[in-house]
Amino acid sequence: MKILVPVKRVIDYNVKVRVRQDGSGVETVNVKMSMNPFDEIAVEEAIRLQEAGRAEEIVAISIGAPQCQETIRTALAMGADRGILVETEQDLEPLGVSKVLRECVDRESPDLVIMGKQAIDDDCNQTAQILAGLLDWPQGAFASTLKFSDGRVDVTREIDGGLETLSLLLPAVISADLRLNEPRYVKLPNIMKAKKKPLDTIPIEELGIDVAPRVSTIKVEEPPARSGGIMVASVEELVDKLKNDAKVI
Amino acid sequence: MTDTNPPSERFLDAIRGALGPGACITDQAGIEPYVTEWRGILRGRCSLVTRPTSTAEVSRILSICNEARVAVTPQGGNTGMVAAALPQGGIVLSTERLNRIRELDSDNAAMVVEAGCVLKDLQDAAGQVGQLLPLSLGAEGSCHIGGNLATNAGGTMTVRFGNARDLVLGLEVVLAGGEVWDGLRTLRKNNTGYDLKHLFIGSEGTLGVITAAALKLFPGLGSTETVLAALNTPDDVLKLFVRLRVQLGDDILGFETFPSLGLKLARKHIPDIRDPFAGDYPQYALVEAFSHRRDPVLRESLNEAFATALDDGLILDAVVAESQAQSDALWRIRESIPEAHAKEGATIRHDVSVPVSKVPQFLTAGKTLVEQRLPGVRVIAFGHIGDGNIHFNLLQPEDMAKDRFLARMPELNRAVHDLVDSLGGSFSAEHGIGMVKREDLARYRPAVELRMMRGIKSLLDPNHIMNPGKLFLPEDLG
Ligand SMILES: Cc1cc2nc3c(=O)[nH]c(=O)nc-3n(C[C@H](O)[C@H](O)[C@H](O)COP(=O)(O)OP(=O)(O)OC[C@H]3O[C@@H](n4cnc5c(N)ncnc54)[C@H](O)[C@@H]3O)c2cc1C
Repeated sequence: MKILVPVKRVIDYNVKVRVRQDGSGVETVNVKMSMNPFDEIAVEEAIRLQEAGRAEEIVAISIGAPQCQETIRTALAMGADRGILVETEQDLEPLGVSKVLRECVDRESPDLVIMGKQAIDDDCNQTAQILAGLLDWPQGAFASTLKFSDGRVDVTREIDGGLETLSLLLPAVISADLRLNEPRYVKLPNIMKAKKKPLDTIPIEELGIDVAPRVSTIKVEEPPARSGGIMVASVEELVDKLKNDAKVI
Repeated sequence: MTDTNPPSERFLDAIRGALGPGACITDQAGIEPYVTEWRGILRGRCSLVTRPTSTAEVSRILSICNEARVAVTPQGGNTGMVAAALPQGGIVLSTERLNRIRELDSDNAAMVVEAGCVLKDLQDAAGQVGQLLPLSLGAEGSCHIGGNLATNAGGTMTVRFGNARDLVLGLEVVLAGGEVWDGLRTLRKNNTGYDLKHLFIGSEGTLGVITAAALKLFPGLGSTETVLAALNTPDDVLKLFVRLRVQLGDDILGFETFPSLGLKLARKHIPDIRDPFAGDYPQYALVEAFSHRRDPVLRESLNEAFATALDDGLILDAVVAESQAQSDALWRIRESIPEAHAKEGATIRHDVSVPVSKVPQFLTAGKTLVEQRLPGVRVIAFGHIGDGNIHFNLLQPEDMAKDRFLARMPELNRAVHDLVDSLGGSFSAEHGIGMVKREDLARYRPAVELRMMRGIKSLLDPNHIMNPGKLFLPEDLG
């Protein structure tokens, strides 16, 4: 089996995100960037499949600026075999990303695409689903367990109110949820080895697809600061405040 | 002599009259947290807690207490390790309401802050303007900057930025008689006689009350990288440190070590601690590197330094944090070690330092020494090896009763401290003296030093109202 794993470079999960002075977006200059945590889970799952003898090759792919190579190198250091960077300075929307990925799927012919259920920067949670739609492949979103058997994969997914298990025919698109696994730490020897693994760069123009944005951002602003809470002395006062000040009862 | 009896009504009225509303606590339940030690070993006693909101109020309290000869124990976050903030009668002067940032001057890279500011809040305030207050320790969410200065706290950035002392430009202090010394200068150069602020730093509340401090700031952390390396011996950890210092120089922000047992107990007792490696290794080194800039080269040079160490067989393996979450998780291992072994059983702790080059020698000799005296004792030696500062903690033998083990404390302390002394080291590297190490102070510091210390104490606090029973044994002060 050959697995394609898309990985996105995002602002590190633990960084306090700040809005740019001019309101055009969030500040990314001088900010720590890391691999999207859900993508890390996807990479980990692919590696476990390889270690279990189910996958022959893992290809990590990222779309974006040249710095996304770092994110691909992380995937390679975790255990992916080779990387592809589709280079663009433009911010792509999920539709654009999915189109690029479809193109890559056409070129690489993987049996499986595993990706994060959403990216923590825009929280869109659309790309896996759109990609499956474009490819007309079965999809298993929010996977928490995968079980493979002859040409099929059983995906246990977290849904409102419980778990649901779908049986998909391969090839398929799967999106990883938090509980699928816990990604490993990257070991130093593997970082050194990863430097020698192949990483191809494709300028996005070469793919000849329309990735123009469909949505334009007018303005980004901080949410209003929360005003501090107050202490009430009695239930009567609480009721009074809820009725007359907060006007919620 | 200082009165440690319950205060008279007249005294209470005078204090109440000198302070604003809400400043005094006199009921036992309210006082309880101020006489309780987080270690749960010793207890303090006092019948009044004062919580002044200004330097002027502190001055009034001290002048009344000095007049009435009532003992005053300054207290910050009460997180200290040696019961230095536990009152032994008299009153507590808590800094919790002295918590304003008076000035934050980015251009001068300095901030002037009141003693009761919580360290974490100051780190955050500096961070907000892209600056760094490089003092960081496990208690930073509760300890006060005044407490940090009064104990000259160390922590995990000492290897690069020094102790709390090294971050101070000036102090405001209320002297024992109530007089205010405004030494809040923010000068980088000032050679005008004795540098008095250093007397108060590390004085553990025995000379006066620090009410405010001018602190140095540094450019913020642009990039940080965290590596956990596995090694065979403490000797190898030292070799790695020496080598990285040459290769990375000032890029090293932190350099800590802990043994296999430290990690094992952390995994056993603390939730969400993972072993970053698959195998079990004897010793670990946690290395934090940084640059003031956003610096991709940092990661490269760090990786290369560790790769060479791996090729040379100096380290056995290493993991590199790929995200802040992973970095935090690696640090959490180091930070949960004290709590983990406290959960495992009774411990006898030592906070010692020796010249950095002698750490391995100390560890080998120390281990042999305590194991000979008490077979089955489990040594967990961990900490700030880059500063030559080791927390040499002894965990009770598995089959021994707690109190029988703790009864051996004086003997084991003595053996360890004698060894440290013979290596030119210190029996208290960063935690201070308080009530716990007064005998050691009297034993290990030369007579001439003790004489100077007593002279300073008598000069600045002639009536001995400031934190009596700490630092000196009462009989030593006469
Ligand atoms: C989890 C944990 C980790 C720690 N890690 C470290 C570490 O890595 N390095 C290290 O050095 N220490 C460490 N400590 C101990 C450290 O000394 C204290 O946490 C801290 O520096 C004391 O601050 P505090 O405000 O709690 O002071 P307190 O405990 O309240 O007081 C300590 C002493 O200072 C005096 N004092 C307090 N405020 C003033 C003032 N305004 N004027 C005059 N005297 C005053 C008190 O009288 C007392 O003698 C740690 C403690 C904990 C609980």
